[in-house]
Amino acid sequence: MAAWPHWLPLVVLAPLLGAVFTPVVSLRSRHVAPWWALAVMSATSVAALFLVLRVASEGPFSYLPGGWQPPYGIELRFDEFSAVISVICLIGWLAVLYSLRYTEWLREVPKQRIPYYYALLLLNLGGMIGFVVTGDLFNLFVFLEILSLSAYALVAFSGEHIAEMAAFKYLLMGAISSLLVLFSVGIIFGITGSLNMADVATRIGQLDSAAPAALALAMLAIGFMVKAAVFPVHIWLPDAHAIAPSPISAVLSGLVVKVGIIGLIRVYQIYYAAGVLDLHTLNQVLVWLGAISIVMGAFFAIFQDDIKLMLAYSTISNVGYIVMGLGLSTNFSVIGGSVHVFNHALIKATLFLAAGALIYRTGYRTLTDLRGIGRSMPLTCIAISIGAISIVGIPPTAGFLCKWYIALGAFEADQPFFGFALIFGALFIFIYYIRMVNAFYFQAPVHPEILEVAEAPLSMLAPTLLLASLCLIMGILGRIPLAFIEPAAARLLAPLGG
Amino acid sequence: MLEALWNNVDYVASVVLFCIGLYIIIAKNNLIKKFLGLNIMETAVFSFIIALGVIDGGDAPIMGAGAHAPFSSPVPQALVLTGIVVAVSTTALALSLIIRIYRQCGTIEADELREME
Repeated sequence: MAAWPHWLPLVVLAPLLGAVFTPVVSLRSRHVAPWWALAVMSATSVAALFLVLRVASEGPFSYLPGGWQPPYGIELRFDEFSAVISVICLIGWLAVLYSLRYTEWLREVPKQRIPYYYALLLLNLGGMIGFVVTGDLFNLFVFLEILSLSAYALVAFSGEHIAEMAAFKYLLMGAISSLLVLFSVGIIFGITGSLNMADVATRIGQLDSAAPAALALAMLAIGFMVKAAVFPVHIWLPDAHAIAPSPISAVLSGLVVKVGIIGLIRVYQIYYAAGVLDLHTLNQVLVWLGAISIVMGAFFAIFQDDIKLMLAYSTISNVGYIVMGLGLSTNFSVIGGSVHVFNHALIKATLFLAAGALIYRTGYRTLTDLRGIGRSMPLTCIAISIGAISIVGIPPTAGFLCKWYIALGAFEADQPFFGFALIFGALFIFIYYIRMVNAFYFQAPVHPEILEVAEAPLSMLAPTLLLASLCLIMGILGRIPLAFIEPAAARLLAPLGG
Repeated sequence: MLEALWNNVDYVASVVLFCIGLYIIIAKNNLIKKFLGLNIMETAVFSFIIALGVIDGGDAPIMGAGAHAPFSSPVPQALVLTGIVVAVSTTALALSLIIRIYRQCGTIEADELREME
């Protein structure tokens, strides 16, 4: 089955078509929508599983829709970095399951609109899957817009009073970054006459003047950094991620910011292979911005009392780790950074889903109000604690290996300062997660009724606990993703002669 | 230098438009005006991509009697058509968000909204 060639277009088309048909199938009864979305995501996950198995056994492969040869036709390309679709499918599936109860609870949302929520969520997931498997620069832009537009709308879905403001801020920043990406796709098309990534890489290598290619590189890098929320352009993230409905926060924080990272990896693939530009400056910029993001994100998170805002700032720190790993451009750091894309998605989805369950049961969102919740919702709080120790990077959890690899990369690249910045950032992160665990377990409750709330319902508890146990399992079996991504990292860095 | 700029006046114009749009987004206070700035940026990018495909005296690349080289490239037009669809949906979403912001807060001036938060 794994060798059937049509899994690759199917994995993109299934969620997108599923999204289009969601309002149709739920015409009679709006209760059909979540089950339809679950069925669509299950089909997508099966396809994704076969694709990942295939790339593990035979390496990267392509699919040519309509049989047109590249560079004339569009190419779908699946390499080891595309294997991130496995985690997109997993978290997407669990987010749909979680939304079953959560959307009914959003009071400001009219009940008959709920099918649109699932349609938007499927569009978002489909856009992300398309983004990571496409081999064509313009398709990259189109999928980027599909996933961004649905993300803006989903942020506004929560009905909190500043949700629209947060969504609008996100939309303005996001639209500017998308336009930067489109502008540079235009420049690249102008100087090379091609849109296929592999073909563009060879043609940029043959150019007389590299200046326009450098301009395009700068704009692509800035555009994707906005999407990934790296330090100076992160201002849209905290509000958007804290306001969104909790399952959407998990998708946004775990997956959508990673799209910016995958975009950066694609840009690096093109420019390293072209070999005309010295990327040392860009790498240094990324490493510095990554280090600043780690420290600033952690610093701001310490002062937050709102649990979701705290998690949102922690996302900025963790994106900092990944960007730093890419920028250090050693074998270790790139492997660590790419695996952290995967692991941070698991960890942050655990934390946001668990936080959402606390808010769902108690109606409170600040650490002060939630004091003592560990006694009445023990399983959810265990999930949060596992998420917390994973994100700090304490072995044997998922966060440890990636951070260890990135730190090794910093020493390997002879820039030990950044290794220390990373450890310093981890200490900061430790402080605020300890605050959280302390509030849940060891402080006397402010609201006595918090001791009487019930544990989260099964459809919310099961995804949270599954993700939390994956955080532990991925820490113990951490060697597998590291070994899996290694050939891709080696291929990426091969033009550097290392 | 001037001659080089003049020969590429279409590209220069798109870059200038792009910067005007960015300036409006940063400097203006009204959300609708901010959004118009974004639309100007979009137009700048689209005109840039369209200008890429144009060849002086080029024909439409449609085969048949009377078609002769050089041909203009059709690819940028296809790209821009897709881009326009994306821009329209962004506009629709942004305008609906602005309407809801106005209904809830009674204003669409960014500084007054910030005070309200």
